[in-house]
Amino acid sequence: MEWTGLQPEMVRSELTEIVGDAHVSTDDADRLVYATDWFWLPQMWLDRGEIPRKPDFIVRPKSAEEISAILQVANAYRIPVIPWGGGSGSQGGALPVFGGIVLDTKRMNRIIEIDEKSLTVTAEAGINGKQLEWAVNEKGLMLPHYPASANCATLGGYLAPRGTGTISTKYGKAEDLVLRMQVVLPDGHILRTPIVPQHAAGPDFYRLFLGSEGTFGVITEATMQLDYLPECRLLRAVLFEDLTDAIEAGRQIMTRRLEPFVIRLYDPRSTASRVKKILGYELEGAYMVLGFDGDKDIATLQEEKAMDIINGFGARDLGREPGEAWWNHRYDFYYPPQSLKLPWMYGTTETVTTYDKIEKLYFAEKKAVEEGYKEWDIDFIGHFSHWFHWGVMVYTRFIIRNPPDDAKEAVRLHNRVWNTAMTAVLENGGMVNEHHGVGLKLSRFMRRQYGDAWPLLDRIKKTLDPNGIMNPGKVGFGH
Amino acid sequence: MNTAIGAIENCRFCLMCRHVAPVGHITHNESVTPHGIALVAAMQRQGQLTWNPSTLDVLYAEPDGGNCRAHCVTDQPLPAAIAAIRAEVADDGLAPPEVVRAHDRIAENHSAFGSYEPATKQGEWGLFVGDVGFNLAQETMRAALKLLEACELDVVSVGCGLDSGFIPCSLGYPRTAQAQARLCIEEVQRTGIKKLLVLSPQDLFAFLQMHQERLDIAWPEDVVIIDLVDFLASQVPNLKMIPPAGTAENATAYVDPTHAVRLPRRFDAARTLCEVALGYAPLELFWREDRAHPVGSTAIQFTRPDIGVRLTEARLEDAINRGAQSIVCDDPVTLYELRLRNESNLHIQGLYETLLTQLPPHS
Ligand SMILES: Cc1cc2nc3c(=O)[nH]c(=O)nc-3n(C[C@H](O)[C@H](O)[C@H](O)COP(=O)(O)OP(=O)(O)OC[C@H]3O[C@@H](n4cnc5c(N)ncnc54)[C@H](O)[C@@H]3O)c2cc1C
Ligand code: SF4
Repeated sequence: MEWTGLQPEMVRSELTEIVGDAHVSTDDADRLVYATDWFWLPQMWLDRGEIPRKPDFIVRPKSAEEISAILQVANAYRIPVIPWGGGSGSQGGALPVFGGIVLDTKRMNRIIEIDEKSLTVTAEAGINGKQLEWAVNEKGLMLPHYPASANCATLGGYLAPRGTGTISTKYGKAEDLVLRMQVVLPDGHILRTPIVPQHAAGPDFYRLFLGSEGTFGVITEATMQLDYLPECRLLRAVLFEDLTDAIEAGRQIMTRRLEPFVIRLYDPRSTASRVKKILGYELEGAYMVLGFDGDKDIATLQEEKAMDIINGFGARDLGREPGEAWWNHRYDFYYPPQSLKLPWMYGTTETVTTYDKIEKLYFAEKKAVEEGYKEWDIDFIGHFSHWFHWGVMVYTRFIIRNPPDDAKEAVRLHNRVWNTAMTAVLENGGMVNEHHGVGLKLSRFMRRQYGDAWPLLDRIKKTLDPNGIMNPGKVGFGH
Repeated sequence: MNTAIGAIENCRFCLMCRHVAPVGHITHNESVTPHGIALVAAMQRQGQLTWNPSTLDVLYAEPDGGNCRAHCVTDQPLPAAIAAIRAEVADDGLAPPEVVRAHDRIAENHSAFGSYEPATKQGEWGLFVGDVGFNLAQETMRAALKLLEACELDVVSVGCGLDSGFIPCSLGYPRTAQAQARLCIEEVQRTGIKKLLVLSPQDLFAFLQMHQERLDIAWPEDVVIIDLVDFLASQVPNLKMIPPAGTAENATAYVDPTHAVRLPRRFDAARTLCEVALGYAPLELFWREDRAHPVGSTAIQFTRPDIGVRLTEARLEDAINRGAQSIVCDDPVTLYELRLRNESNLHIQGLYETLLTQLPPHS
């Protein structure tokens, strides 16, 4: 559906006045490229020869003030604004499902300050994750949010969907690392949250923006907690015969606060497929990578204590080499052709819950998906990778290697599998998501997820964004 | 279909080299990242886009600097794929006029920047000077030859003013590129050279990789191709250079030249020479070594000159942001481009020219 005539020309000229002609695009190529993020559905739609809904404008602002002015134009014309960082989100969060303005934040990429005393970095939200990491590394520091998408994602994109990185088990999720943010509200008002997050000066309202995925405003700047680059990283791999034992071992390591920076536990199906494909190990059972970092003496002791627990389950110690190989190649999984890619159908149905429920949830979801889609020869794989004191995230995935050729049929099948998986998750006490966010993909499950609490969130949205311009169709608003 | 084109079917689904993609960094535009260019090319092939000024702008925005592939775990030859698609576009008569003009100039003169003068001497050792080295940056060429003389080598200059095939190949004219590649090989064979030192990384990349991979042309097995930087670094103990006096510590940054990411061996060698030339380890740029960004000296100067200029300006800005007062580089192609665009107070030094001033008298 093309939007033509006087009105778009008016909008374009006003946007141009704000950011300059070079930073407003209505080009064919740009509009197509910004029509898909990492969500399988729009990628499939394109792949099958269809055209997803395209943005009308791509705008690249340089400051919070420019964003404020853009939002005022959008309110005047009642057109959607979709914040876009790296476009690496897998939930369709950055899709312009109703057209409008895609607001690419990548020109806002300055590092404002590295505070080597408080160990913080303040940077604009459009900075690339890896570039930010390189910059703090030069000072012997790290931003301990290590998502597999660091090469492509932005700081704003880390925070908006509440991302989680590989070393979150020790250092926390992206949201745990943020001290302060600057945000532009949907009406154009620019605000800064208080200087520190832990205080007792009223409610924690800054958290509203974490997980709002651009529906409550645009994050333009953030101050993040840094850490010293660790003196050592001790990695090793162990093999459990039984997944139940492996989860219990992980629980014991966490609840005894042994502080691993990573516990990556592959279910037997993943061990036999992904671990074999990428790392080349042919193993049967549940493969676990375990890592301790920081001061060498402390890390060594922590590792010893963890190994005592693991040995208690009769797991096989595979030694350091396979643990280090995993660390060195942990992102290789994401490079095509060894990543999942079309024409296959796939989805990551990751979820999180408490230790008392996690195993039951995992097996319930596995059974529902495997039995429900047997005729499609569906594959269901998973790994447990972000561990908390109280529970763990399981990163489950379904894969259909011969999905329907017809795009519309493929959409229906994809949505059916998601319904099955999310129903199992919700019925077994899980959250519909732990780190990829809600986006468009999970929007329809948000009312069920929140039950009685949903109207409150909905009311907040309507108060902040009465014209509904901010990223419509996402995070359950409007569903 | 050129098999490299298959890479677009992988790259269009991938964002994993975005952090080192130089054009994405200066434009902040998804469409001109490896993923975006591959997606546009794939969609054109599927029929959802046609070649028009906007889509061609994307296709011609790739600089062929090698950053994407250097960081690609599965070694996707995306730059070669893009060159092959440009060749299809050129065959269909859709190449932009400035691209056609640049090609025609090379096809006619064997040089994009001046004239080609074939060598007349014979010898075992040769220095491939190249097009820019001969036509635009003679001081670097002369310094390199003098340093080789100090190494007591009798060197024949070859490829004086000759494009190695890199530019036409990148522009999308593989047949012209093949003709250029053959000329390079013929000249080396005619002069009897068995050890070929190469002045510019651009030509070195063409000889070591591009000719074989993209043009299906193999170099004779009895010719050894050597990076001049590597060779000179190995000669440092013999050259007995006199360390410089009175230079402000840390004032000079080394710029890894365009294509350095394709030739990782040279990172250390170049720095060894810098230490000799400066008397201290050079200041490091943010975009260095395996993440070094190109200047606008590749075919991008013809395909998208606007982007080419920005690439060069970004390298100068990187040096200024690091607090450098001067920058040093070995590659005549990179040096020429940096000098052309420099409007700041940065002093731009040739590494070989600087080294020359440290040779003992009478050497
Ligand atoms: C190969 C690969 C690996 C991945 N691995 C991980 C992983 O390990 N951990 C993880 O958590 N995720 C992972 N992801 C998912 C995704 O990359 C992350 O969620 C990432 O942080 C998104 O960042 P982005 O800048 O690309 O955001 P986008 O995709 O551009 O946006 C994501 C959402 O945030 C909103 N948004 C973006 N910027 C802003 C802003 N400044 N203000 C307000 N809203 C904004 C968008 O509107 C959208 O709703 C992976 C994705 C890929 C492709
Ligand atoms: S070159 Fe490799 S890393 Fe870059 S986009 Fe292509 S597949 Fe991804």
